[in-house]
Amino acid sequence: MAFVKVVRRGMLPQEWALLRYGWIKRGIIKKKYEITELEIQDALQTGENTYEELTPYRPLKRGDLYFSPDGTVFIRGRGVVPEELRDKKEKVWFFLQTAAEMIVKINGHYAGGLDPNRDRILLGPWLEAGKWEFTFEIEGYNRSKPDDERNLDTMNLRGCRQIFEGAYVVELEEGLLSFYYDLTLLLDVADCENFDEEYRKMVIRELNHALDLVDYDSFAGAEEASAYIEEHIYRNRNFGGTGTVALVGHSHLDIAYYWRRIHAVQKNARTILIQMRLMDRYPDFKYAHTQPYVYELLEKYYPELFGELKEKIKQGSFEPVGAMYVEPDCNIPAAESLIRQCLYGQHYYRKAFGITVDNAWLPDVFGNSWILPQILKKSGVDYFVSNKMSTWNDTNRFPHNHFLWKGIDGSEVYACVPPTHFITWNMPSQIQENWDAYQEKETGGQTLSMFGYGDGGSGATEEMLELMARFDKLSVMPKTQHMGAGEFLHRNLKDNQKLETWDGELYLEMHRGTFTTKSDLKAYNRRLEFMLRDAELLSLLRMRQGKAYPQEELNQCYKMLLLNQFHDILPGSHIHPVYEDAMKDYRGLEERLQALLLEEGDSYFNTLNWKREGILFFANENGGFVRKGERGYFGMPDRGARSTGEPRSGFEGDGASETDASWLEVSWLGISWLDTSPKEASVRQASFQRTSFQQTSIREHSWREGASLCVETPFYRIRFGEDGSIESLYDKRMEREWAAGGFNKLHLYQDMPGIYDAWDILPGYKDVEFPFTVEEALHLTFADGQAAQFTALLGTPEGRSAWRVILRLFKEDPGIEVEHVVDWNEKHRLVKAEFTCNVLSRELMCDTSAGYIRRETHRNTSWQKARYEVCHHKWCDFGEKDGGIAVINEGKYGLGVEEKGFSLSLLRSTIRPDILSDLGHHDFCYLILPHRKDAVEAGINRRAFEYNVPLVRTPEKGLGFDFAPLYLQAAKLSEDGKYVVFRLSEQDGLRGKMKLPFRAVLMNMLEDVQREAQEIAYGPFEILTVGMSVEDFLAGEAATGKECQG
Amino acid sequence: MNKRIAPRIQGDGGWAEFVSFEDGELTLIFRGECSKCMILDRCIDWISQEVKRDLGEDIVVKPLRRKPFFWDN
Repeated sequence: MAFVKVVRRGMLPQEWALLRYGWIKRGIIKKKYEITELEIQDALQTGENTYEELTPYRPLKRGDLYFSPDGTVFIRGRGVVPEELRDKKEKVWFFLQTAAEMIVKINGHYAGGLDPNRDRILLGPWLEAGKWEFTFEIEGYNRSKPDDERNLDTMNLRGCRQIFEGAYVVELEEGLLSFYYDLTLLLDVADCENFDEEYRKMVIRELNHALDLVDYDSFAGAEEASAYIEEHIYRNRNFGGTGTVALVGHSHLDIAYYWRRIHAVQKNARTILIQMRLMDRYPDFKYAHTQPYVYELLEKYYPELFGELKEKIKQGSFEPVGAMYVEPDCNIPAAESLIRQCLYGQHYYRKAFGITVDNAWLPDVFGNSWILPQILKKSGVDYFVSNKMSTWNDTNRFPHNHFLWKGIDGSEVYACVPPTHFITWNMPSQIQENWDAYQEKETGGQTLSMFGYGDGGSGATEEMLELMARFDKLSVMPKTQHMGAGEFLHRNLKDNQKLETWDGELYLEMHRGTFTTKSDLKAYNRRLEFMLRDAELLSLLRMRQGKAYPQEELNQCYKMLLLNQFHDILPGSHIHPVYEDAMKDYRGLEERLQALLLEEGDSYFNTLNWKREGILFFANENGGFVRKGERGYFGMPDRGARSTGEPRSGFEGDGASETDASWLEVSWLGISWLDTSPKEASVRQASFQRTSFQQTSIREHSWREGASLCVETPFYRIRFGEDGSIESLYDKRMEREWAAGGFNKLHLYQDMPGIYDAWDILPGYKDVEFPFTVEEALHLTFADGQAAQFTALLGTPEGRSAWRVILRLFKEDPGIEVEHVVDWNEKHRLVKAEFTCNVLSRELMCDTSAGYIRRETHRNTSWQKARYEVCHHKWCDFGEKDGGIAVINEGKYGLGVEEKGFSLSLLRSTIRPDILSDLGHHDFCYLILPHRKDAVEAGINRRAFEYNVPLVRTPEKGLGFDFAPLYLQAAKLSEDGKYVVFRLSEQDGLRGKMKLPFRAVLMNMLEDVQREAQEIAYGPFEILTVGMSVEDFLAGEAATGKECQG
Repeated sequence: MNKRIAPRIQGDGGWAEFVSFEDGELTLIFRGECSKCMILDRCIDWISQEVKRDLGEDIVVKPLRRKPFFWDN
């Protein structure tokens, strides 16, 4: 007999309740009067507060299409409160349902905000005494993240072009509204399996009984139904719950993402406005808002709202949180950038509100560098909050929610990684899920549940607050308490002796592609970080020549860099116009910094606080090499060797004569010189030492073995593959082979991570690989006695991309430079350079910009397996005790961790959110540096600085003292103009003491003086801030000038 | 398309590319967020209006939708 499946067609009790819930919602608006006097104007936002008017004002009526792609609309109109509502002035609302985002002014006052989650604004407070007519002005924009609208009622309204649903004056059926909130609460409980099953059955049963009391034509009986719920559900204490949850109002605001940063101005204002209007109606409501940058925007463009905000902050209802200027990416920015995020953020808070914020509020960042605890701690920050590790990790459950986070130097901050998402709508189910997932139930106190819509701002709603007022009535819910962010952190984490410690980076097991996506942004960020360093340092030195320190200009430049480090800008997870904006910012910033650097003359200045040793490239139109599109020479600073720039016939590479060690003398922070005029250069050329590659032509030291090209240099015997990979790298100094497989070997992988295209690289990215074709096998293209250059041209399948590999070998330097010149036209591809090393090690050393981190390369546990792609800064190193392979980059951060080495992630080609991501021309270099001893003893970190920090063409006199062995990370004028501030960083893992050659004060990173100091003690990876009075600095000019003249 | 229409659509996360214009029919490829937009016809209507306003021509826009972005290879 055939089995017949029985399909249930009748309604389940819960479905019946849901249906009637929808009917109740329809009755909430008791009376509705359409406003017909409306006009609209289309505009295009062109700047933070500038618009191009696209049309004149025209009449607007219900049913019209309004908004256009990327458009802003201005709507204005006039309404009147009907006579029958005039005795209920405090209960009359302005109503407009939209999927756009709107800031509404009534009678010239900021009255509130409208968006997919809010459709009405209380009218009464804005009516003029004795007048029932009112005017209104609306600024509307349509920039919700496409999948971020959770209100089903407005889902069908959304899109670039929307249908205007009309504007109204309405009166609410308040009893019915209250009943509606009861139903919202209880239906959520009934639908959530985290609650007791018997309780949920009881709720549905009793809800249906209550709903039976309502007449759905007149909505009579709602009060009786509410009373029934009160008696039969809320007073039912037969069921119990556990837990204690702190509820903190918050809205996450991406400064740029699916919208440009110019649009964050209005998004932020709308968010703050909405929250302040909620505070007007709910005096106990508290809300936490982060990012000093957006407060600056409000102060600049909405001074009226800003004045009101200051009052709300004084009252304690509105709470500035997050010490950092923006919520930056916390992987890629260097230590000094993160310090400045705190410095400028905290100084703004002090100036604007008289407060120093003691928390870092970073709910959405994609993992956090190990260097952060120290930076936070020394910037007045004791508490760290970040959500992603708990909710987004794809492999391991992060084991803590409340803990002590121990940084690379041993500094500790209290850390909170809330168990659930930073965007919730304060539903009982979400709160219960938060408690259930909480891992410090017995030791951590209350758990944190943030509520409020976010990403594009907007925050809490009336519904969230109404539900919150009912939570105590549900016996099964955890005990909840609404409070501010600071109150939560102090109450539960401060001095909590039971908290466990996490010692290490906070690696996010997701979004691993953000170390690589939009490679231009990363490279620019790196370059500008160092340009800012140089500009500040040189501006200080020029004070000794009587020049004014350009503090305002430098601060503006720094803030522009910090802004673009926002966690959806620098990581590359944004739409194309955001990329265009960032690149425009970067180009502008570069021009401004070049103007500050004042590069001119024949002298070069070394801004590093040690004598350089590595090979340098000097741009010069007579140079024989072309590096990154620029002609120039290579030179060794501490020897008399420089490439001549003249090609030799064939492979012949010599042509220099005697040593002339004086042509380039580069000492730390001192004068050095190089005459670069063509005439002088030719004179110098004639006096070079007559040594080249083994004093004979390079041709005699290169030969072919099949398709391979073999070359011998003073350091190596190398066998290159025809594609530019290194098949064998025999080190003559150490008598050992370095390559054990693909070495500098390019791989083109399929890279299709799915919906999080720009964000993710999946663990199986190697499953599908496409071959490069060799269009031109590797061959010598230039040699001049000091350097030799080899080039190969590769192609991708179907000739979509052209990839030129350029390898440079040096006579005096063991570094092997690799340049990639790429015309990239791919989709869903990832290119990596593989380095499989003949090295036995289980650890990969990675630069963090303020010390190194060792990462295990084996995959014994799921924790190691998950870290298959990590972030590093200037260098990585895979080595044994007596030698290793370092690769120094100038803007590549993604690093594949392999059992026998690593792979440098070079380029991706994602299509969401930006169709054009990374397409086009690329030109980037890295240096392969085999070395003796371990990476620290070999000075790899110094070489990495030298590779990233070019000499500056300027005739400054040096400081006159160094801070060896510490790294001079930054030197600047203090924000108050009283001190010269030196930021010193221990990056080699050493402990020591140092006598300071001037009367010094020790400062925190906010430049608050801590104490006087003539001697400083430092520990491994410690960052110190030392101040010297401006008077002493200027007075020291004469002596130090002499000392550094070299 | 390049100066007026496409940048506006990009501003909302969408993407429109010119394919051809023949006999008054403008063929465009829509990608990005446009590829899954349920009300793309409204945008198409807007493009026609913009062309009419700026160039004085009545045109018909023929959309070619790429598959939703996460299937679009």
